[in-house]
Amino acid sequence: MKRVTWGFTVLAAIAALVWIAAPASSQQKVVKIGDLGSKVGVFEGYGKYQTWGMQMAVEELNAKGGVLGHKIEIVSEDDETKPAPAVRKAEKLILQDDVKLLVGAVSSGATLAVMDVTKKHKTIHWNSVSCAEFMRTTKFHKYYFSNQPDSRMQANGLAKYIVDKMGKKVYIFYTDYAMGQSDGRQFKTALEKLGGEVVGVAGAPLDTKDFSPWFGAINQSSPDVLFLAFAGTDSLRLMTQLHSFGMTKKYKLAGIDCFLLQQDLPSIAEPMEGFVQLNHFSPHNPDANMQAYNARFKKKFGTDANIAAGSYDAVLFWAAAVEKAKSFDSDKVAEAHEGMCVDNTHIGRQCIRKEDHQVIMDMHLYQVKGGKNLPIAKIAGSDSIGEAMVGKDPVEGFTWEIKKK
Amino acid sequence: MDYVVAVLLPQLLHGLVFGAALGLLALGLTVIFGLLGVMNFAHGELYMLGAYAGIAVVSLTHSFWLALLVAPLAVGAIGAVTEVTTLRPLYRREPLYGLILTFGLALVFREGARQIWGGDMRRILPPFTGSTPLLGMTYPNYRLFLLAASSVLLLAIWLFFTRTRAGILVRAAVQDAEMLDGLGVNVPRVFTLTFAGSAALAALAGLLLAPVFTVYPQMGVEMILLAFIVVILGGMGSMGGSVIAAFVIGLAQSLLTLWMNPQRVAIAIFAIMIVVLIVRPRGFFGREGVLE
Repeated sequence: MKRVTWGFTVLAAIAALVWIAAPASSQQKVVKIGDLGSKVGVFEGYGKYQTWGMQMAVEELNAKGGVLGHKIEIVSEDDETKPAPAVRKAEKLILQDDVKLLVGAVSSGATLAVMDVTKKHKTIHWNSVSCAEFMRTTKFHKYYFSNQPDSRMQANGLAKYIVDKMGKKVYIFYTDYAMGQSDGRQFKTALEKLGGEVVGVAGAPLDTKDFSPWFGAINQSSPDVLFLAFAGTDSLRLMTQLHSFGMTKKYKLAGIDCFLLQQDLPSIAEPMEGFVQLNHFSPHNPDANMQAYNARFKKKFGTDANIAAGSYDAVLFWAAAVEKAKSFDSDKVAEAHEGMCVDNTHIGRQCIRKEDHQVIMDMHLYQVKGGKNLPIAKIAGSDSIGEAMVGKDPVEGFTWEIKKK
Repeated sequence: MDYVVAVLLPQLLHGLVFGAALGLLALGLTVIFGLLGVMNFAHGELYMLGAYAGIAVVSLTHSFWLALLVAPLAVGAIGAVTEVTTLRPLYRREPLYGLILTFGLALVFREGARQIWGGDMRRILPPFTGSTPLLGMTYPNYRLFLLAASSVLLLAIWLFFTRTRAGILVRAAVQDAEMLDGLGVNVPRVFTLTFAGSAALAALAGLLLAPVFTVYPQMGVEMILLAFIVVILGGMGSMGGSVIAAFVIGLAQSLLTLWMNPQRVAIAIFAIMIVVLIVRPRGFFGREGVLE
């Protein structure tokens, strides 16, 4: 009898301890958000900065008490830069981890595939890196938002500068998958509309090791300007090889916003000298908001931020929408997003356009000088965003055919 | 004139550079075919191992030149061990056994490399950078070196086969191994050394091309397909034919890119091979009866 009493007392003591300790750990509830993208391989630079951008936002929000009283936690997954693993990982993040926001992916092909998943599961989906033109048009759904200027937004501003300042004869060289095709198409359309002449187009597969087989056709068409739609390690190899064949000095160079990230520029400064691109962020832009953001980023991670760190804004917008909706319910949160403005994004005040959920972003034309992306002109977001084309084919009637002049 | 200097000349040089390197790879393949009567499916993996061995040596010694010496020797040794332990017991059986064996070896080497070094692409820096102005165009120094080195090697191999006793013994073994055995030559040793030599040659090609193509476990698969085409076009077992076919493929590939996307050129090259196989299965210089 005595033994039973002792056992009961010990059990009661443990139960009491657990009861006392429990409120401390479960005082704040947790909400998870998903970070999906390329963590290794050709686009790992973008995937890493996407994670860092989100980490910074989460840290700042959690310091102020989180969102709707919930502490935010990030779950990161690598999609191997391929659509199939991206879909698998997105399903895992949504069904297993129960994330309330999914940010990603990095590669356009993967993002387009993930959009089907977020549509099916009604999950709020932010894209901060991919730029294919189908995301806010034919693939658009209610839960999808983007603060990455897509190819259509980039093409208009850049094509005008090229025709006015760099030369009318342009050769388009692109990476042959969703992103590069989209950039090539939109740029060709914009350039021809402005009276420029496309003297040649060619696509090279993602992760091409030797680009020199393509150089003969470029030289043959003798352009003024080479427009390059590549990204990640592809861009690094391409620029090194163009330079070693004397082609960076022979032609003027322009390209897409994610062609090379700031951290890679110093090592390839000479080949990149004079390269022009349209971008929403550079750590070398004197804009006060960008400088303030970059200073915080550099303090935390020891390196300058880049465009992929725009994922910071995605988390801010989502958190603001959740607070506004007073709920994590995706329908309510999606509606709260529409038309919303946030003052403290990494480039200052930004608003979401209601019609296609695209953030209207002010952008700058940048030119590389001495390994730094320096602004040369500003283009207002309202000028570059273009009309909302939800459900419409953004490439209707397009052809890669070269119109001989 | 501008067209010749700015467009044609660089393309011709591309073709020669690639053709010479491809020749090194195809030469080993065709010699092995002559000896064993089977295509060595693991040849591309020996090419890949050469590049990885090179990376290992460079990371230890920081010398690309030393790697050029050590990596082929190491892969040659792997080749010798492989021949003695796996291929030799199969010589008396049908060629199909050898074919399946080398296919399996290729998988073992490729996955082994993935286990040891991982699947990521690795870069190996060329021993020198910069470009040379050449006849009005600019050409990278390392690619010029590649052309020179491969050409010298091809010449040395030709001299070896025509001027040295060892070379003549290998050619004799390719022609008729039994007769050579009857004449008192240690034929198994000739086989082992030839296999090791061809492995070393593949490794050398792998390391020489590594600064241009980068290094990854699959790298051999892409190159070996082209090498097969070269061997078939040149005539299975014909060494001279392989070298000529390598240059033909290299030049055809680079000149065709002026009219079509390089991805389509790759398809066109395969189409040429299919036509040759149907119309003239022995290739340019092959002996009658090898494939017909």
